Amino acid sequence: MHYSDYPTFTAAFIGFGHLGRQNKLNIGILENQEALIAAVEGLWTESIIFRAALKSIYCNNLEEGEIFDSLFDKFWLKQKPRIKGKTTFKNQSNLTKKSKGSLVMVGIGQDASKSKEDAHNTSGASINHALKKTDFAQIEQIESRLLEELAEELWKQMSIRLKRKLKKSSKGKIDLSGTIRSNLSSGGSMIKLIRKNRMDQKYRLVILLDVSGSMDKYSFFLLKFIVSLKANFKQVEAFVFSTDLIRVTEYLNDKNLKQTLDLMSRHVHNWSSGTKLGTCLKIFNEQYAKRLLNGKTMTIILSDGLDTGDVLLLKEEMDKIKLRTKKLIWLNPLKGMLDYQPIQRGMQAALPSLDHFASAHNIESLLKLEDILANA
Amino acid sequence: MISNPKELIPKLDELGYVIDEELATVIYLMLKLEKPLLLEGNPGVGKTEAAYILSTFLQTELIRLQCYEGLDVNAAVYEWNYQKQLLAIKIQEQSNLSTTQKEELIFSDDYLLKRPLLRAITSIKPPVLLIDEIDRADEEFEAFLLELLSAFQITIPELGTVKAESKPFVILTSNRTRELSDALKRRCLYYWVPYPSEAKELKIIKKHLPDIEEKLALQMVRTIQKVRALKLDKSPGIAETIDWAKGILAMHVTEINNESLEKTLSCIVKSKRDLSAVREEIHNLLTR
Repeated sequence: MHYSDYPTFTAAFIGFGHLGRQNKLNIGILENQEALIAAVEGLWTESIIFRAALKSIYCNNLEEGEIFDSLFDKFWLKQKPRIKGKTTFKNQSNLTKKSKGSLVMVGIGQDASKSKEDAHNTSGASINHALKKTDFAQIEQIESRLLEELAEELWKQMSIRLKRKLKKSSKGKIDLSGTIRSNLSSGGSMIKLIRKNRMDQKYRLVILLDVSGSMDKYSFFLLKFIVSLKANFKQVEAFVFSTDLIRVTEYLNDKNLKQTLDLMSRHVHNWSSGTKLGTCLKIFNEQYAKRLLNGKTMTIILSDGLDTGDVLLLKEEMDKIKLRTKKLIWLNPLKGMLDYQPIQRGMQAALPSLDHFASAHNIESLLKLEDILANA
Repeated sequence: MISNPKELIPKLDELGYVIDEELATVIYLMLKLEKPLLLEGNPGVGKTEAAYILSTFLQTELIRLQCYEGLDVNAAVYEWNYQKQLLAIKIQEQSNLSTTQKEELIFSDDYLLKRPLLRAITSIKPPVLLIDEIDRADEEFEAFLLELLSAFQITIPELGTVKAESKPFVILTSNRTRELSDALKRRCLYYWVPYPSEAKELKIIKKHLPDIEEKLALQMVRTIQKVRALKLDKSPGIAETIDWAKGILAMHVTEINNESLEKTLSCIVKSKRDLSAVREEIHNLLTR
């Protein structure tokens, strides 16, 4: 649609609102009214001002702003397209190229490179939405970078929120006897409340990541997830395991994940091999559990549960961890598959010890860890 | 008052706030539509400062509510002065007032402690109300704000509904650590505050430090823009740029090179991780 399709200015605004709604912008009557008021105030005479005014009224977040920019260019600035019909992401780029130097309704038009960038951003929000739900194993190479960026941003936000939630309030419970004592001077009327001092509770996260061959498609993203958590929690201890267990906490300090991977590959020799869960957990229990696990520790195992080792040993070691930790959480990428049943030997042995069993196959599922940890 | 967004630019510039046409338009619209403005953006891009400058420009009071997890009505809207009420009850014990009269007395304005939101809507001259870092508050509190932001009124059970004497100019800021509810956002104008462009940041530095040499300032801005591209845990905001410029001037540095950058790095980055990330890239930061 184009402004010139409408008989009046008011109708064009309503049409633009309709176009916005078709593209998932939350535009109602109120927004259209306010946009008209802005126009009446004379804000339509220059494109920068007109765009900023409508954007502030029609958009509710950064992603919507990107969709808006593209619609605004198409509707208000560019020449009416010759071919009508549903334009795809690719078509919009072509349209922009063709319309370079075309008629503009208001003020100056944008340069071609900016418009191209805007066209690229058109489907930004919907792409992000789809990426959040995309299984890490199904990701195409071309989407990988986008997914990494989105994951980094969302997990960072999650870690910050989680850090705040797990931080206890400084206000302690009411100290009844102290309150009575200090209120004797007011005849026993409870004017002043005395509170008990509260010990600052520090939670620790212990994460064990399966890097065996069957987890190859997930290991990179899950490692990235751990790095995000580590960036915001001082108290994160991380281990990777397959046939052996290696503590990798110190290698997660580097901001550059590629360097982290290089460092780890030098130290972790059993990457992409088979899985001996029981043996690895035994090593963990013998060497680290006593020192790391206590009533304030939450232990997270990231594994598909496809075990080639001794299942009884696995069950035994899981029980030991369960006794020492506040919560034992298992995140399994396979759980995201339709009709998945935890019937593998390893999973069967581990399930009775778990407090939570959840999926870890895409960004969205990992974000759910926030609620699990916050309510632990 | 002003009749055009562009008029805002030189006026706020005089007060020390460099503003572009987009933000000027949004602030102008906020004043015209009397609608709250939600400013979202990374920390340190000047969201809070916008509210302070606006209050100076409008020559009105700035009332700030700093949000945090657990913020409740008692801290944000009102609280009864319980101690004073208890003492009043004691004093009135021997008086001939009826129970209803005593109740009316202790639940009157004299016993009400006005917190920022109530203060804002009961001010005679409309103040600028800054609700800072709303993303830190709980969702319950966000829901509570809906009544205030749409009808500019607050309901106090003992007193009834208090309507705004004059509508305050409300600015909400968020660092986007979580998504705010659609209901809240629909009640506001929205603007994403990006990091400043090279030209804008240069202007900001010169505004704060008029004596700085153009060449040095430009070198600093280019470096800081490259530092932001490194995706640090905490990217330097405008405040860091200004601090850095002050540090550079105090040390009588005339050029940004390896040595001067290394010495003043703590003005820009605030954590050990970021420090090592910048150090690794220090050579690339200084090349043109």
